[in-house]
Amino acid sequence: MTDSASSAMDTRPASRLSSRSSLRLFLLSNEFGLLVLIIVFAALFHGLANGFLSPFNLFALGRNAAVNILIGLSMMTVLATGGLNLAIGAMGVAAAMACGWLIEGAGLAWPLAVLGGLALGAGLGVTNGWMVVKTGLHSFIITLATMSIFFGAMIFLSQGESYRALPAVFSDLGRARVFTFVSPMFLIAVGTALVLSVLYRYTVQGREMLAAGARPEAAEMSGVRVERTVIACHMLSGLLAALAALLLTARNGAAIPSMAGQLGQDWLLPAFLGPVLGGTLLQGGKVSVLGTCLGAFLVTMLTSGLLLMQVGAFWVQSFLGILLLLAVMIDKGRRSYLRRRNLA
Amino acid sequence: MPSLTRFVRTDWFGPLLACIVAIAIIQSVSPTFLSLANIQVLLLALAVNALIAFSQMIIIAIGQMNLSVGAIGGLAAIAFAGAMEVWGLPAPLAALFGLIIGLACGALNGLLVRISGMSAFVITLATLSIYKGVNLGITEAQAFYGVPQAVKAFGSAVIAGPVPWLVAPTALVAVWLWFMLRRQPVGRFILAVGGNEHAAELSGVSIARTVVTAHAISGLLAALAGILLVARLGVGQPSIGDDWLILSFAAPVIGGAVLSGGSVSVAATLLGVVIVAIITQALVLFSIDPYLTQVILGGLILAAVSFNRLRESRFIGRFGRA
Amino acid sequence: MNGEAIFEARDIVKTFPGVKALGGVGLSLMPGSIHALLGENGAGKSTLIKVVTGVHRPTSGELRLDGRSVDFGNPRDAIAAGIGVVHQERNLIPRFSVAENIHFESFGANRFKPIDYRRLNESAAEWLRMLDLDIDPAMSVTELSTARMQLVEIAKALSQKSRVLLLDEPTASLTSGETDTLFEILRRLRDNGTSLVFVSHKLEEVEALCDRVTVLRDGQNACESQSAEGLTRKDYVRLMIGRAESGSGWRKRDTRAAPQVLGLDDVASGLGHSGVGLSVRAGEIVGLYGLVGAGRTELARVILGQEPVTQGTVRIDGEAVRVADVSEAIHRYRLGYVSEDRKGEGLILQHSVLANAGVPIWRKLAGRFGFLSDATVRAAVLPYLTRLEVKTPSLDQTTANLSGGNQQKISVAKWLAAGVRLLIVDEPTVGIDIKTKAYLHDLLRELADGGTAILLISSDMPEIVALADRIVVMDAFRTKGSIENDGDYTTMSEKIMTRIQDRTPSGTSSGIGETARCA
Repeated sequence: MTDSASSAMDTRPASRLSSRSSLRLFLLSNEFGLLVLIIVFAALFHGLANGFLSPFNLFALGRNAAVNILIGLSMMTVLATGGLNLAIGAMGVAAAMACGWLIEGAGLAWPLAVLGGLALGAGLGVTNGWMVVKTGLHSFIITLATMSIFFGAMIFLSQGESYRALPAVFSDLGRARVFTFVSPMFLIAVGTALVLSVLYRYTVQGREMLAAGARPEAAEMSGVRVERTVIACHMLSGLLAALAALLLTARNGAAIPSMAGQLGQDWLLPAFLGPVLGGTLLQGGKVSVLGTCLGAFLVTMLTSGLLLMQVGAFWVQSFLGILLLLAVMIDKGRRSYLRRRNLA
Repeated sequence: MPSLTRFVRTDWFGPLLACIVAIAIIQSVSPTFLSLANIQVLLLALAVNALIAFSQMIIIAIGQMNLSVGAIGGLAAIAFAGAMEVWGLPAPLAALFGLIIGLACGALNGLLVRISGMSAFVITLATLSIYKGVNLGITEAQAFYGVPQAVKAFGSAVIAGPVPWLVAPTALVAVWLWFMLRRQPVGRFILAVGGNEHAAELSGVSIARTVVTAHAISGLLAALAGILLVARLGVGQPSIGDDWLILSFAAPVIGGAVLSGGSVSVAATLLGVVIVAIITQALVLFSIDPYLTQVILGGLILAAVSFNRLRESRFIGRFGRA
Repeated sequence: MNGEAIFEARDIVKTFPGVKALGGVGLSLMPGSIHALLGENGAGKSTLIKVVTGVHRPTSGELRLDGRSVDFGNPRDAIAAGIGVVHQERNLIPRFSVAENIHFESFGANRFKPIDYRRLNESAAEWLRMLDLDIDPAMSVTELSTARMQLVEIAKALSQKSRVLLLDEPTASLTSGETDTLFEILRRLRDNGTSLVFVSHKLEEVEALCDRVTVLRDGQNACESQSAEGLTRKDYVRLMIGRAESGSGWRKRDTRAAPQVLGLDDVASGLGHSGVGLSVRAGEIVGLYGLVGAGRTELARVILGQEPVTQGTVRIDGEAVRVADVSEAIHRYRLGYVSEDRKGEGLILQHSVLANAGVPIWRKLAGRFGFLSDATVRAAVLPYLTRLEVKTPSLDQTTANLSGGNQQKISVAKWLAAGVRLLIVDEPTVGIDIKTKAYLHDLLRELADGGTAILLISSDMPEIVALADRIVVMDAFRTKGSIENDGDYTTMSEKIMTRIQDRTPSGTSSGIGETARCA
């Protein structure tokens, strides 16, 4: 906020942002940066590792990216409120296991079981949101506790047993290919992302989520029902986590209690990587659906490429940690640049 | 009776009461609960779990959080075991090596939090993944079995009666932490930064130095917990630390720690650890599904934070925005 | 008292983006004196305090200590130079003992050397004794009353060898007994040679306490460091507001025939209001005047349904209603609220102009399933943004980048777009340049002429007198009757002050009865 800039503003009437500065803004955006990185790394891996761009690898990449994108979007919906959600993994696995039980234990048809799983995810999300709103505590500690509760209850009820006798439709979805190299799972993730884009840009509900996240006091004073909106954000998060876990179930051909690690913690890193790389603000109030998708895709691609280059799977985990640190630092630098230039 | 009121109002009175009630109930249902063998099991769990809780508590004191407590503990544990097996280092040197690694990891957390100005949550999530990856990359997920006999002996020896040697380091740490947070400027700085960062800074406290110090201590304590666990288990498991996260928060929170910082208590946290250990133990005694432990731990955290919140809101009402 | 100044500020200029907060201000502090720093909200007092205490660096100008030029890079430098400040927000460390808070500074020497609490307590006890305070130094500050916390802060500042001590509205949350104790202590400090700066809105306190005075107005000195001898409260008011008449632009408007939009009858609330009565008719501007802390903003929260009404009736359009929450107040009853806390509550600074102006009408504009496009919102709000001459490079501009005046225009425009019937305006012109201020005043009149009922909350008396048709006086969470405004500042300020100082409870209740009936 410099003097010269603000005085310049005062002399200009309300008009569209000049196209030059909007181009500059786009070039400085996370989305553009991620796109460049994806292209650069794709070329790099193509040159270094044989078969990186082979139809099968692209297909596998799409399947993994689908899950990572949904996990990232699930976190993003709660980051929009300025909170976070540690229980994503636990909610997702619980939903997938519920779906498995509904098919194998209760004998329901698979579409109903899938709906049941999604509903459980949404319900657990509502539980989180309700507690955050009613206690006024930070979502960190609430979701830390519910992560333990949801996961413990899931393991207790399932006794740690997987559901492996799922209908063929699950493994078919995991195996199917469109145009020889695209997984329908990837298309589901992209479709979900499109729906979310529309939600945040073109609906009252989405806009109110962002308003409530950016400045709850101001949003409330402008007529937004902040508490209800925050609960809705958590519900959306649960729904997306459930969808991610169901896709993972399709890929594995089974609902496995350990598919997100101890307490579902294995999902935490990808859940933050996508949104943070994509430029979603941790303080809330701003999300980037496209950025989250590109971020999740980049992460998936890097993982796949490094594995193809025979880098041990364990080191890849360290590498992703470093990537998150880098993203945070770069974001900090970029933001202070934008602030100095009075662009954002 | 002012001394009684004072006693009732101390931060550890509530947890102590909860502890005694829990013991009394369980003892009345299952008289074997306070048998010597059971007490020893309790104390062994306590020795490690208290350090895990302290490691998180010192970060809660500055109003932050540390997700990498378990990852640091695991890395220090395999460094300790690996140094003995692969390099043939004597146990004390290997332990020192593990502690230094823990200290360094913690200090790195603190530095990164300070430099980036980002929430400690994201930073320690990233370093959690880095430390864990290094751990697994080195061990390839295989345990170090070459832990010397002397170390294993230390892990199972008793001082007297049911009191194992393993509690000795933990007891020393508890006393040191208590002294530091009560009497030493460095400890008071940590609490001051958590209580009112602005006021602390105006009084000449270096926020950066204090934050890094707290994180370094956290890393050191996590490392010590990992090392003691290696002694108890007799193997250097790469998976050490994987299940510490919930526990590390549960005990301080049950002990009334204020998550926004500035108010933690060594005694109350210790009692929080005892409560968690008693309940876990009771589940075993009553042959309740051990899987339910997670549910109960989560429930305890929720109950404790809600209760603390009620207490704190009365306090904030009078103190203004603290 | 005569002699060299301890501390001087010369020709201090401080500019912020879009705003010149201080335009060449001077202040000179003598030892053994209590110096009043006066000015309306937005006159530049707090900016000057921040410059003096090292929070802000002046854009130009010079600070001199003992005749030598000094430069404070941060608040620590100012403290080290002997300039202490007791702010409104507490700068104590919660749960630490009184002694520790007083001497926290001295711990830095060795980080590991155990603290000798006995010596600490003894030394703190000395400072407390010096202030004649009966406080156990080992007690936790959290257990103290607000007044005593403040006194501990003074003790802390003195222990830091402060020779200049700034007190920023120290009496804002004190009872009159506590205030007397504080004044006694301040006088003793003055007699011991400390130079005190007293910032307050309460002129009777200034009259009772201060021997020198500086008044700021619109970022300039209305008077600089002159003796308070012979000056009366009237003179202060004149200096603060510049012109005694000041009721510029007021014109008589008759709304007696108009229907009542909002009526409060003997309302009590969970926030501590009791016996609140007022009425606003369509097209009427009712001023709600009171000192800081009188419960006016809180009353707005009660009307908007954010806080519960525990007793009495709230009528909207003559019908008794119970507003469940703010959302209902806005969407169902069409009330609007322009917050005094523009940056915290009024606007979402991080979001665009378009998003901010549109929030209250999103629901109204949305189609099926809540679909809504930018174009729809733009079409709905642009006329109002244009009418209010909001200056922004684009509607997509982040609101944080606009000047205070433009921000305030947006927070008014959004209610115009929403077509509210009652607009509650809370301190609308604090921190806003004169031109925009005059513009907003015209706008509020115009709005009222168009039939909108306006409840204007302000502690800026000239503003209230210039705008309101009637003035309701509020003190200590009660209304003290309403006064017809005749636009003459001198007589009106006189009348308002009499109402506020009238502490008899019987007078209060009769006042309310009157208001309630006139509704």
